Amino acid sequence: MSELTLERGLAAFRAEVDGPVAAFFSSCVHCGICAQACPFYLETGDPKYTPILKLEPLRRVWEADFTLWGKIKGLFGLNHKVTDEMLAEWEELLYDSCSMCGRCSMVCPVGNDLALMIRKSREGMVQAGHAPEGLIAASVRAIQTGSPMGLQWKTLAVQINHVQTSSGLEVPVDKEGAEYLVLLSSMEIINFPEYLEAITKIFDHAGVTWTLSTQCFEATNAGIQIGNKDIAAQLVERVVAAAEKLKVPKVISPECGHAFTAIRWEGPNLIGRPYPFKVFHIIEVLDELRAAGRIKTEGMETDRLSMHDPCNLARKSGVIQQQRNLMNLVAENFVELKEHGKFQWCCGAGGGVSSNERAEPLKMAAFKRKKAQIEEVNPERMVTMCATCRTQLEEGLEEFNMEIPVVGLTEMIAEHLVEKN
Amino acid sequence: MAARKPTEKTLGESLRERGVSRRGFLKFCAATASMMALPPSMAPAIAAALEKAKRPSVIWLSFQECTGCTESLTRSHAPTLEDLILDVISLDYHHTLQAAAGDAAEHAREQAMAANAGEYLVIVDGSIPGPDSNPGFSTVAGHSNYAMLMETVENAAAVIAVGTCATFGGLPAANPNPTGAMSVMDLVKNKPVINVSGCPPIPMVITGVIAHYLTFGRLPELDAYNRPMAFFGQSIHDRCYRRPFYDKGLFAKTFDDEGARLGWCLYELGCKGPTTYNACATMRWNDGTSWPVEAGHPCLGCSEPKFWDAGGFYNAVSVPTSASGMNVLAAGAAGAVVGGAVAALAKKQTKTAVTHRQPVTVEELEAKL
Repeated sequence: MSELTLERGLAAFRAEVDGPVAAFFSSCVHCGICAQACPFYLETGDPKYTPILKLEPLRRVWEADFTLWGKIKGLFGLNHKVTDEMLAEWEELLYDSCSMCGRCSMVCPVGNDLALMIRKSREGMVQAGHAPEGLIAASVRAIQTGSPMGLQWKTLAVQINHVQTSSGLEVPVDKEGAEYLVLLSSMEIINFPEYLEAITKIFDHAGVTWTLSTQCFEATNAGIQIGNKDIAAQLVERVVAAAEKLKVPKVISPECGHAFTAIRWEGPNLIGRPYPFKVFHIIEVLDELRAAGRIKTEGMETDRLSMHDPCNLARKSGVIQQQRNLMNLVAENFVELKEHGKFQWCCGAGGGVSSNERAEPLKMAAFKRKKAQIEEVNPERMVTMCATCRTQLEEGLEEFNMEIPVVGLTEMIAEHLVEKN
Repeated sequence: MAARKPTEKTLGESLRERGVSRRGFLKFCAATASMMALPPSMAPAIAAALEKAKRPSVIWLSFQECTGCTESLTRSHAPTLEDLILDVISLDYHHTLQAAAGDAAEHAREQAMAANAGEYLVIVDGSIPGPDSNPGFSTVAGHSNYAMLMETVENAAAVIAVGTCATFGGLPAANPNPTGAMSVMDLVKNKPVINVSGCPPIPMVITGVIAHYLTFGRLPELDAYNRPMAFFGQSIHDRCYRRPFYDKGLFAKTFDDEGARLGWCLYELGCKGPTTYNACATMRWNDGTSWPVEAGHPCLGCSEPKFWDAGGFYNAVSVPTSASGMNVLAAGAAGAVVGGAVAALAKKQTKTAVTHRQPVTVEELEAKL
């Protein structure tokens, strides 16, 4: 059987060097501003976590094979080679200490998209056999069982039963021709089943037709997090097949960050063809319903609420105003974190960091940035719209003995729906 | 706006008085540093220099212009530090903004010139009917534009030409140029002239140039057209977010076709991005909200010399604008062959790299566990 080797890794790095990558590396002015944007660097103070340094393997491959100067240096044997040892050392830098939050890309004065290059570097790391065990296991489970947590439909079926009993509403399954196909994340099914109940209530209230698919219920994409397009494409194909079979015009990505960017932005490029449907984040759908007057709410939350914008949603996808519109619908004492929207700070758990147990201490270190932000405005509860962010906020706040509960925005909206007679 | 000596207050004090926090001020300094491609460690130095700088006296002259440049600067985005910096320079004379009129206004200019001889900055917007033109084409208080410009720059430290009219002649100088309009650098030869071109220019560029001058006591590095390299160093095309579509050969053919809706490259609709040097693509307009290409319109090339006469706005840049193009075509063809060969080589390299990449299977991953 073939195996993952350094040679394959180097070939994968080479395959990732394209016009943008070459332009980025040649225009880097070594200013170091990316470090100032990175919670992993700022909260540890260790210069090895400077984002551009994390890209050193890819940069070396680019220099040696794609630049004239690098080729000349190569003739004299002066190039720094990318070795197995180097990649082993960089595994921590590319996975444990990067949540691909993209803040570095935002602040780079010459416009280098560092987060994109991290994503590309991971392609090489996987092929060279230097991906973290936690992410490998999640990818294998995602392909073999359909869920990175190894969850099966029967577990979801139990949750559906609970929801149906408690709400008295039907959760539609495999309904051909519905308007929306709803995807879920395993994390939600296990930890936050309130989400499924909330959308069941909201969609019933707004008169929206929707369905789950037994063929594919999982929206998350372990292939994106580990950084392998073969795995990622297979997982996207499953969603596309399910949506095509049920002939839905729209697909909803759940309260999960990377799942949305995976299916919304990377998906069509991964499978090499356009989708026959459109993809929305649940927050986008809810805000559209609100704007159309299809969500009627009553009562307001009165306690002091603040909100965490997930990186994948706000910074990477531009969904910023929608969640604020929804907050204003049901919260009268909503206070923004100082830096929010596209310049928000990452919770520290995204980009596969939370699936990588070894990275736990770094994940908590990075969270200190968020913690400081929260302390600044001192809310009574935090609201967010990503299951990974939510888990991280809950764990982090508990770790630092801060009694601030975290709620999902969709559930909060569901609690304020005007009851039907 | 009465003439005043540069007040005793420093810039730092004036800003604080106007409610600009120290933090806000430092943020401006950091942004200025990164805009000018200076290392972040320069931000404190900029802050220290600006804090201590006395407000420079600025005389603003408007000639054959439409006031669009002033509009851009003053109405760019609701009060920001850029505006305040502009506000707290000692703007001693500005046709549009000064309260004084008639003799009092002219007197203010003369007084500022006398009080700050050798130190004041002159900002000019609009082109000037040249020395050989009828002086009556454009006058202020009975002085021809030419006479007023030459008199005012006599004792200036430097001249900043703002907008394409002042920098390259702009619309008034477009064919057939009835007023014999000339640019500032055509006329002012014995003083440093910094050109901030654009129709209108980006406001931050002006404040950036002033901040640089106050910090280092000298003018920023300039390109061949005397434009600050920090802002005019790269083409719109090289920094355009639609560039990937150009690279893939995906072009909008009309303004309402599928390509236009999908946000493809506007090259074939006449985009002058490849030949235009400006900071629109990175700094954008209206407080970073958007810029022409993002709004779906090709770049007109407004910051380049002779942009009015460079053929139609909607002709693609590769369409020859004059008939004398045989040599140009031959040179272009030779260049294309060489460029093509280089590109083909690079492409081949990437292609080989892509084909050498082996797909990863789940079994291979499992073997790693």
